[in-house]
Parts: sequence; C-alpha cells; structure tokens
Amino acid sequence: MSSWDDDDSAAAAATDVELLKRAWRNEKAAPEILRFDSPLVSRVREQIQLLEETLDDFADSGVDDLVVSLYQMDLDRTLFLLRSYLRLRLQKIEKYTMHISRSDDLLSRLSQQERRFAKSCAEIMEKHLEQSVLSKLPYGYDSVTRQSLSSTEDDMVPEPQLDTFVFCKTKSDVGAFQLDDIGEEVVDLVADDLYVLRYKSIKGLVEGGRIDLI
Amino acid sequence: MTGLSAFWIEHFVLCRSGIPKCHRGFRRRMYGRRASQLLKEIDSSEAGQLAPFNSDVFDQVIRECNEHNSQFQSLIRKMVEQNLDIETTRNEDHYGAAIHHLSLLRNKRCLMAYMYNRAEVIQSFRWKVGPVLPHDIQEKLHFSEKEYFKNHSAAIKSYISEMDIDLTVDMVPPKDTYIQVRVLEDIGEVSLGDHSVSLTKNSLHFLRRTDAEQFISQGLMEEFLE
Repeated sequence: MSSWDDDDSAAAAATDVELLKRAWRNEKAAPEILRFDSPLVSRVREQIQLLEETLDDFADSGVDDLVVSLYQMDLDRTLFLLRSYLRLRLQKIEKYTMHISRSDDLLSRLSQQERRFAKSCAEIMEKHLEQSVLSKLPYGYDSVTRQSLSSTEDDMVPEPQLDTFVFCKTKSDVGAFQLDDIGEEVVDLVADDLYVLRYKSIKGLVEGGRIDLI
Repeated sequence: MTGLSAFWIEHFVLCRSGIPKCHRGFRRRMYGRRASQLLKEIDSSEAGQLAPFNSDVFDQVIRECNEHNSQFQSLIRKMVEQNLDIETTRNEDHYGAAIHHLSLLRNKRCLMAYMYNRAEVIQSFRWKVGPVLPHDIQEKLHFSEKEYFKNHSAAIKSYISEMDIDLTVDMVPPKDTYIQVRVLEDIGEVSLGDHSVSLTKNSLHFLRRTDAEQFISQGLMEEFLE
C-alpha cells in the first residue's frame, strides 16, 4: 500500500465528510427543509463502502488493533453523519407534510425517494384526519386544508416559522446586506464573523453557500 | 362577511331538503369550552407523552358542532323566509348565525389541533420506540391513530429500503468504538469477530458498538452507563 495513495484518498475523504458535516449542521439549524445534495450523498456512500471494504481486508490480514479501531471510528462517525442528515430531513417532511406537498419549490428540494415519502405522509395524514374528525363534521366544514367553504385560501396548513433567529457564520465578505423588505435594517456582513439573524433574511445566502448555520 | 354570505347561500340551498327541527338551543354555557378542554390536555402532557384518547369530550365537541350547524341553518332559513337579503342584512338572526358559524370553526380547529398534535407524538414513537408499540401505549390510542401509526411506519420502512440505509439505528453520535453492555435476555453463544462470547442474562460485556447495536435495537441488550 503506497502511503501517497493513502494520503490523497484521506484528504479527499476529509473534504467530502467536511461538506457533509456542513450540510448536516445547516439542516439541523434551518427551520425549513433545504436542498438535497444528491452528488455529495452518493460520493459519501461510495466512500463508506470503500472504508467497509478496507476494514474487511484488515480483518483478514491481521492489521494492528489500534489502526483498525481508528478506521472503524472514522467509519462510525461518517455513517452517523449520513444517517442523521437523512433522518433530520425525513422528520422535517413528517412535520410539514401538507405544506411541502403543496409547494413546487419545496418539493424540488427533495430527493426522489423523499418525494415519494412526502406524498405518502400527506395521504396518510389526510386519511387519518378525515376518518377521525372531518367525516363527522357537517357539510362545508369538512375540508382538511380550509376551515370552511367561506375561507378564501388554505388556512389550516401548519408551516415552519421562517423568521426564527439562527446563529450563523459568514464564509466571505458579503458587505452591506439588507435584512428586511423595506430597506430599513442594513447590516455589514464581514467574513468569518458570528451573527444572530432571522433565518428569513439570510435564506438566500444560505442557499448560495455564502453563510453557514451553526 | 361577503365570503361568509356566499357560503351561507350555497349551504342553505344544498341542505334545504334536510333541515332538522330547531333544537331547544344550548343551555347557558360558553361555546367552545369543551374544545378547550382537549387543548388543555395536550398542553399539560409532557413532551413526547400521550394521554389516553379522550373520546367522551371528543364526541361531545362533535355533537356541539352539529348543533351549531342546525341552529345556523334554521336562522338562515328564517331570514330567507322573511325575504331578507342574506348578504347585506344585519339583524339579530344574522349575528346569531355568525356566532354559530364561528363557534363551529373554533371547535373544528380545536379538534384538528388535538388529532394533529397527537399524531406528531405518534410519529415520534416510530423513531424512539420502534415499529411495534408496547401495550400500554396502544391502549391510549384511538383506532384511527393505531392505523395511522401502522401506515406511517410502513412509509418510513419503504423509504429506508429504497435508500438501503437503516435510519432507525445510530440515533446518538458515536463516542467510543467499544461500549459496555448488559444482557437482558439469554442469547447464548455468539461468535463476534475472531472469538465467541456467551451472552447470558444479566452478564456484562465489553463489545464493539456495531456488534452490540443489533441486539440493543431488538431489546435483548442495553448499554451499561454508570
């Protein structure tokens, strides 16, 4: 085994794991569901497989226990990050299933499998509410998303609170940034600084990768 | 109130054939009080816990909704029979009907909130407890909630098998490669790696986390934390 190869693959793996860690942290802190990073997840899964195969080789060739447990630890940590990332997203879909199903923008942020899950979730929830509550209410009041026929829009769908405060850190200089719609609050965002801001204001920056949530 | 009026007309026209006789009306009590009982129950439960489904109060609130509806219908009918324009007339019947409508809405929202909040707790059970609920939790569920849990778990299972990665393990960040475990049930001789271990009830072992996890998730072992 050439040590150069090891270093290169270790460096490349660290970068992807770092990216996964960042995606995981952002997902944890954001009140709404973020864009699914499909290429990153595929790469991480490949690397996990590689690590597992390496560990199997070690078991056969009797490598030193300490080395084995280091690789095992690395594998465990990466697996945990991946599982937690996917789990966080599933739980957000569970929580806001009706809201997500009605929004094309939100649906486009999900992976294919997540989209199928979201659809099932919404159907199952609707069926449950209809069976237990709505079928017993008088005509005109039996909609799942509207209070009654006189509602002008879907007024019974739970939505995430987008103006929650979040801790964030800038990656590079952003400069003067407008926090609200009217242009009254402007903040100067300097690289590598910590801020506490409303998620709604910095949504765009998070999507563009210029700011990280902590 | 124009949206309201359009609804009333449609509602009245469609239900005209089956308008029940006017009930004696409610006894002197505040509308919506029973519904807020349901909400108080949710509020006073500890996070992640469920109280037994309160079918008594639930059914009473449903009955209230239907009473509101029939009161409302008869008031509208009264106005129509007096040839009053429903959209613009503002007499005591109009306001009475408005109160019944709004009370109905409030009851509906409370009922939905009750079911929805319970459903959220039931969702969390799949992650915290597993695909099969213990008897003492099952007892607290309405039959529709039992079905909901089953269907919801199936949806999660379907996603997990599509992705080929088990999301119900590894719930806590890994600290050590090896953990101390206590065996809860007799498992017998198990070969782990290059040696075999005798897993008898109540014995303590120092195992690899990944080896132990399958037993822990089945409830045959637990992590021994000091």
